Amino acid sequence: MSTVTLKNVWKEYGRDVVLENINLHVESGEFVTIVGASGCGKSTFLRMLLGQESATRGAMELDGRPMPDEPGPDRGVVFQKYSVFPHLTALGNVLVAEELGTTRVTGRLFGRRRREARERALKMLAAVGLEQAAGKYPSELSGGMQQRLAIAQALMKDPKILLLDEPFGALDPGIRQDMHELVRELWERQGLTIFMVTHDLKEAFELGSRLLVFDKVRHDPQAPGAYGANITYDIPLSHTTPHPSVYRAVGQRLGVDPYPSAAEEEG
Amino acid sequence: MKRLINQTPGAPWRLALGLLPFVLVLLVYLSASATRLAENPDDPLLPSIAAMADTFAEVATEPNRRTGELTLWVDTSVSLIRLGLGVGIAMTIGLVVGVLTGLIPYANRTFSPFVSVLSMIPPLAVLPILFIALGVGEVAKVALIVFGIAPFIMRDIQQRVEELPRELLVKAQTLGANTWQIILRLVLPQVMPRLLDATRLALGSAWLFLIASEAIAATEGLGYRIFLVRRYLDMELILPYVLWITLLAFLADLVLRLIVRVVFPWYRARRS
Amino acid sequence: MPGFNRPFRSYLTAAALSVATLTGTIAAPQALAEERDSFKIAWSIYVGWMPWGYGETEGIVDKWADKYDIDIDVVQINDYIESINLYTAGSYDGVTVTNMDALTIPAAGGVDSTALVMGDFSNGNDGVVLKGSDSLEDIEGMPVHLVELSVSHYLLARALESVGMSERDVKVVNTSDADIVAAFASPDVEAVVTWNPQLGELKKQENANVVFDSSQIPGEIMDLLVVNTETLEVNPKLGKALTGAWYEIMRTMRGDGDAAVEARTAMAEAAGTDLAGYEAQLDSTSMFFDPTNALTFLESDTPKETMDNVRQFAFDHGLLGERADSPDFVGIQFADGSVLGSESNVKFRFNADYTRMARDGEL
Repeated sequence: MSTVTLKNVWKEYGRDVVLENINLHVESGEFVTIVGASGCGKSTFLRMLLGQESATRGAMELDGRPMPDEPGPDRGVVFQKYSVFPHLTALGNVLVAEELGTTRVTGRLFGRRRREARERALKMLAAVGLEQAAGKYPSELSGGMQQRLAIAQALMKDPKILLLDEPFGALDPGIRQDMHELVRELWERQGLTIFMVTHDLKEAFELGSRLLVFDKVRHDPQAPGAYGANITYDIPLSHTTPHPSVYRAVGQRLGVDPYPSAAEEEG
Repeated sequence: MKRLINQTPGAPWRLALGLLPFVLVLLVYLSASATRLAENPDDPLLPSIAAMADTFAEVATEPNRRTGELTLWVDTSVSLIRLGLGVGIAMTIGLVVGVLTGLIPYANRTFSPFVSVLSMIPPLAVLPILFIALGVGEVAKVALIVFGIAPFIMRDIQQRVEELPRELLVKAQTLGANTWQIILRLVLPQVMPRLLDATRLALGSAWLFLIASEAIAATEGLGYRIFLVRRYLDMELILPYVLWITLLAFLADLVLRLIVRVVFPWYRARRS
Repeated sequence: MPGFNRPFRSYLTAAALSVATLTGTIAAPQALAEERDSFKIAWSIYVGWMPWGYGETEGIVDKWADKYDIDIDVVQINDYIESINLYTAGSYDGVTVTNMDALTIPAAGGVDSTALVMGDFSNGNDGVVLKGSDSLEDIEGMPVHLVELSVSHYLLARALESVGMSERDVKVVNTSDADIVAAFASPDVEAVVTWNPQLGELKKQENANVVFDSSQIPGEIMDLLVVNTETLEVNPKLGKALTGAWYEIMRTMRGDGDAAVEARTAMAEAAGTDLAGYEAQLDSTSMFFDPTNALTFLESDTPKETMDNVRQFAFDHGLLGERADSPDFVGIQFADGSVLGSESNVKFRFNADYTRMARDGEL
């Protein structure tokens, strides 16, 4: 359905190398979680997939064709913040996704088409558990509900790939667990291809079907920008809990403590 | 005793403190006016409240001796039309230019430096050019208001558009929006309440330019009347006119704030 | 009481004190009816009043003040109307003003004022200018740009009268004197009334025609030095010193001698023009260089006839205030003691006593 291929991709800002020589192939339906120390380029990597930034060198392909170098409806996104339009209600936010692609001049639908789009939007809201909140503005929704709305909005366009940029980073742990279940369920049901950047190692292991770890392999203390990051681990994940040693290895690699839960499991 | 910054007035005093400056000004006026009138009953500088009320009632209800019109209402309607036109045109120009320069890099490169320079020109200083280009009639008066406040609105709107979270623009693109749809469905709705805010801030200047334009060449209007009767120090009319203008300005501000609250309910909530 | 603690009380005290102070500042006009030895006179830039500025900088005013053992401060105010308003409000003891504004501003405002020095009358310094026509009759139906309620407005009324029209036949547009030259350049402005130096600027434009000017109503627009009547009565020294200084300045600036040319050059520079420009303005001004001529004028019938016209104009335009039910409301006294209008409300007086002293060498 939709594959992503990166061949010898570099990203440089002037003399600073952010990513060096990335090679990657992701099959349709994979749930790729991406972790890495801050400043390692994982967010840059996501923006490149999104089309917000382009590769300095190398080729990026979507379904075997060059990836468009600006954002488009083939790649949906959910950010940590500012993911929904504050001036529209929950229903409006989902409906606008339908309207934007279809009508060129007014950017709105009318009559029968609007009623149909409204039906689909309400169904999508129900799918993320927001049917009760259709008439509310984002400012009246909790952080978790806002992110559900953002996901619903992104899914309206049936994107080939869905990009999640630390989507649950600002949520309370309990809410985060609910969100994990929602994303997991949507992924399984709709066969999405998902890329998710996260800070939360546990989340990365539990949620994805494949884990990428970004890190710098080489360091030059005299010139911190001389070398960029690469994919240092590429771990296929079964849906069972990974072996604690994997946890620890990745944690050490990133210079973060493995989660206490991981330590307990080891013991 | 607590530090001064940690002391807050109790509930009954909040209103009293707010009223205090008004009461003080009134007291100063009343006692100074009484002193002067005791010395010279015809003193024009600080007339009594009753005399001002009489004069105000007269211009509001009795036809003018020369023109046969109700002075206050003619002045008010003429001035409000000029102000409304000037502010309306300035808002339109400010919105269009501000959105384009804020959103579209080519438009920004082309117009942003020009607008910055334009906003530095004091409009009253180039008045003779306005006269020659636009005449001394209504067009020049409205144009003075437009020149006076449009650059401010343009720059404010441009800045507001630039401040829109990048994420929202990207999100709209991932939903398939083209540039026009982004303007129509994302930028304009988000910028409208900010436009009204900017207009509220510019309204003070707009009044200033209105009154200046009416002082320079006019046959009626609030500013015209004030500058005309200033010739014989008719404070009996000037002071009520000043209060009337203050009231109108206050009401205009209130109306704009109400519009923002009713039409854009999401705006205040988001900022808090 | 909640919130009513000590800082709050001192806060209230401070507020009360500031009320008292402010009241004192605004409410205290010059203490009028008492003998003083320090006075302030306001003047503004105009061809006939430049001598006051010259007299102040050259020390002539100080010399005469010293002679009578008083201090006189002659202060230039940038805005003519503001200078009259300051005088009317009591901040100054005297002001340079035209006869019409003296009647409509201080006198109508209840401040009894005396014309101490009859400086000159406009003899072409004020004019009606039409674009593209040299006939006053063509003004009919035109918007006429002028400073409303000023001597320009009065001149227009007299001009219209001379051809059997009235203000109803034109449309008066109030236009500030500072902007009148620029306004004339605008295509939709066809008629203006103004004074010098703006009039001189307009004359330079080729399509401008002066169709009526103040030389056709000689003696009607007078440039005066007016002082507060009560102050003058209690302090005749002020009148003597000012009158004495004035005629010494007149003697200095008159004629073709080097000193006179030098004095006129200094006045020209202070007025922002050059000697030729200033002399052109003087040509259309009938200066009373000599107290004898001034006295003859003061004692003639011209001031009476003029003030009758002026007060009628002022009444018609509501300039005598709301309480005025006829032109007689404000009494005007002339050099011979006769009064025009209300005898019980005389607020404007032409005084010849000091001019006579100057003529007789008694100062």
